[in-house]
Amino acid sequence: MEREMNRFAVLQLSGCAGCEVSLLNAEEWIDRYNLVYMPLVISAYDVPEVDVLLVSGGVRTDEDLYNLRRAVQRARQVVAVGTCAISGGVANLGDRDEVRALFLAQAERRHLPHLLPRIRPVDSVVTIDRYLPGCPPTPELFMAVLFNLPDFKASKTVCQECGRKKLTATPATRVLSQWSTRGGKDKRPAHLLGFQQGEVLPDICLINQGYLCVGSSTRGGCRAPCTRAGHPCVGCRGPSDAFIEKESSKWFASIQRVFAAMTDIPPEEIEAALRSPQLALFLFQFADYAPPSGGDEGRAPRPKEKVL
Amino acid sequence: MPTLTFPLSRIEGHAQVVIEVQAGEVISARFQAMEFRGFEYFVQGTPAEQMPVITPRICGVCSTAHHVAAVKALEDAYGVTPPPLALRIRELLLLGQIVQNQATSLFIFTMPDRTGVASIFQIPPTGGETSEQDNAGIAMRALKVRKAGTDLITTAGGQFIHPVKAVIGGVTSGVGPEQAATMRAELAEVLPIACELFDLYWEMSLAMGERIGTWGDDAPACYIAAVADCRPNYYGDVIRVMCPKGVVRARFPARDFRAHLTYQETDYSYAGQTSYGGEVMRANSLARINMAHCMGTPRADEYLARFHETFGQPAHAIMLFDLARGVELVHALERAMEILANPLDHEDTAVPYTPRDGEGYGLVEAPRGPLIHHYRIENGLIAQAEFIIPTVHNALAIERALRVAAKRYITAERVDMELERAVGRVVRAFDPCIACATH
Repeated sequence: MEREMNRFAVLQLSGCAGCEVSLLNAEEWIDRYNLVYMPLVISAYDVPEVDVLLVSGGVRTDEDLYNLRRAVQRARQVVAVGTCAISGGVANLGDRDEVRALFLAQAERRHLPHLLPRIRPVDSVVTIDRYLPGCPPTPELFMAVLFNLPDFKASKTVCQECGRKKLTATPATRVLSQWSTRGGKDKRPAHLLGFQQGEVLPDICLINQGYLCVGSSTRGGCRAPCTRAGHPCVGCRGPSDAFIEKESSKWFASIQRVFAAMTDIPPEEIEAALRSPQLALFLFQFADYAPPSGGDEGRAPRPKEKVL
Repeated sequence: MPTLTFPLSRIEGHAQVVIEVQAGEVISARFQAMEFRGFEYFVQGTPAEQMPVITPRICGVCSTAHHVAAVKALEDAYGVTPPPLALRIRELLLLGQIVQNQATSLFIFTMPDRTGVASIFQIPPTGGETSEQDNAGIAMRALKVRKAGTDLITTAGGQFIHPVKAVIGGVTSGVGPEQAATMRAELAEVLPIACELFDLYWEMSLAMGERIGTWGDDAPACYIAAVADCRPNYYGDVIRVMCPKGVVRARFPARDFRAHLTYQETDYSYAGQTSYGGEVMRANSLARINMAHCMGTPRADEYLARFHETFGQPAHAIMLFDLARGVELVHALERAMEILANPLDHEDTAVPYTPRDGEGYGLVEAPRGPLIHHYRIENGLIAQAEFIIPTVHNALAIERALRVAAKRYITAERVDMELERAVGRVVRAFDPCIACATH
């Protein structure tokens, strides 16, 4: 008789279902795993005993808290999947002081799960065995975490997976001058170009073009879909192993060094942009990097061995 | 008062249905959205240009629609007109979204209702005798069709969830000839599979209608959509409302939505409800198919004619939302192949722009209906944001259909166990998206 397949479940807390949608694209699990609970695609109302529990979404409501605590008791291994599970994700922006009061006052409803005072990462509630960061994690990463794929090799950083050509100071001037008719990008950039500004030159590093790309210190493994498509890396996979166990200032300093070497953009401008909501959304995805304004200070950083 | 609570699955997000009964009489049927993140609040103060990256995170299923709506709202505020090629590529993006969504809704969310299983994945891979008809074969083929949609989004948008390529003024790059040819070949391969699965789905739906003796709430309703009645383009220009008799009664641009749509909140759901001046309104596939005279692609037009001949125009029974999705799935595959057959990297993909303060409205026809992003920008930052969500337009229609189902299965003597399945079928017909509806 065939050995019974490993069983896994997907518990979705408050999030966008993007992680689940990505998992659906990793269809190879169908032959090798028995998916027993995932409300998005299965009518099943409780998490049974499983080998692996994937948790996506942040802990936003009292119901999230209850479901999470109950489900982990039935799982041999618990994986926090995606930026929201790891940090609360985009909804973390709602925890800025000026916003939180407003929306807790106006949004609360009767007869419904209650909103917690702030959104929590799952590991502030339960013990997590592995982390699968990304917004969303790519299907390949899901496969890697479900099967411990031996041939899966993540590069250290997104930069190494990007394929765009990085130009150092002098040659940059020469090569970019070929493009000068297309927007005057013939010098080392002196200011940041907004994410949304202009047609992106193919094949050349986005930093050379003045975009705030943080792929140089963001963990690899995603195969750089954003930068390949011409959009700067916003760091959704979090810091690479070199920075993950260190405080955020080390990570920021490294980004600053890269820009100092490749551009003439003032450091203050970089600093302000790194702390703008869009980047903050991801840069602060590991709650230990969040400014210590609330309840989470003092938590030990996630050990890098646990993070895919 | 006795209440019956039904948790929901095979829909996007957390929701439940609560039915109140007194002495066999159905007092109310409520559709409750159970989650909330607060996007309208927390995007306040964000630099406006970041919205195309932040708002797709409202929903991983509908991220493409939010990405494009955000860019369109900013272009409206800045007075920018993107070049024709950029519009083509954005149209491709939205077609990819239609393929992905309709394949998911048809085959993953609702087909199990027709075959009486909990999910298409729980059938063992070698479960059936005949490989063509067994459920495992269906699952693999369904995922293949769905994946073509996600690959199309990747081709046009860079990433299949939370795409990045649409930017203010255009798109970051075109689609090269090789990439276009590969994508086109994949679509050509899945088109017959999609048709085959849809035919099967159509048969299963007829059989189910026969078995349960109803196609659900078939009372007339108003319909709302932002596509033209011929050759639908999901990029969206004006919103149209069709009255229950089938006449288009109103046409308006996104910025005038308040004059036509009435919004209210309730204390039992994190999502609101919209009506058309108090009348129940329906968005999503059936709204578009009720308004459509032609799809403009051969196989979809055959299905459309068959749909209208069989069920009439406008057709009102809610299970027809599901069949309408199939017509659109076939159309989107065909239309994307047409677009990919033409050069997509031969001219500029973006124009320069100058940011300015002001207001902007961005409209797209998302799989679930017209989606509007409205931003007010002050000092380059978002001062106010509104997300007008198609599922919210359907909230009253969902509750009406739930009441119809509840009355059918609840009598003074008993509650028929079929009610639980009926509740699932009703809600799934509307394919609601709770992450979007609550945002």
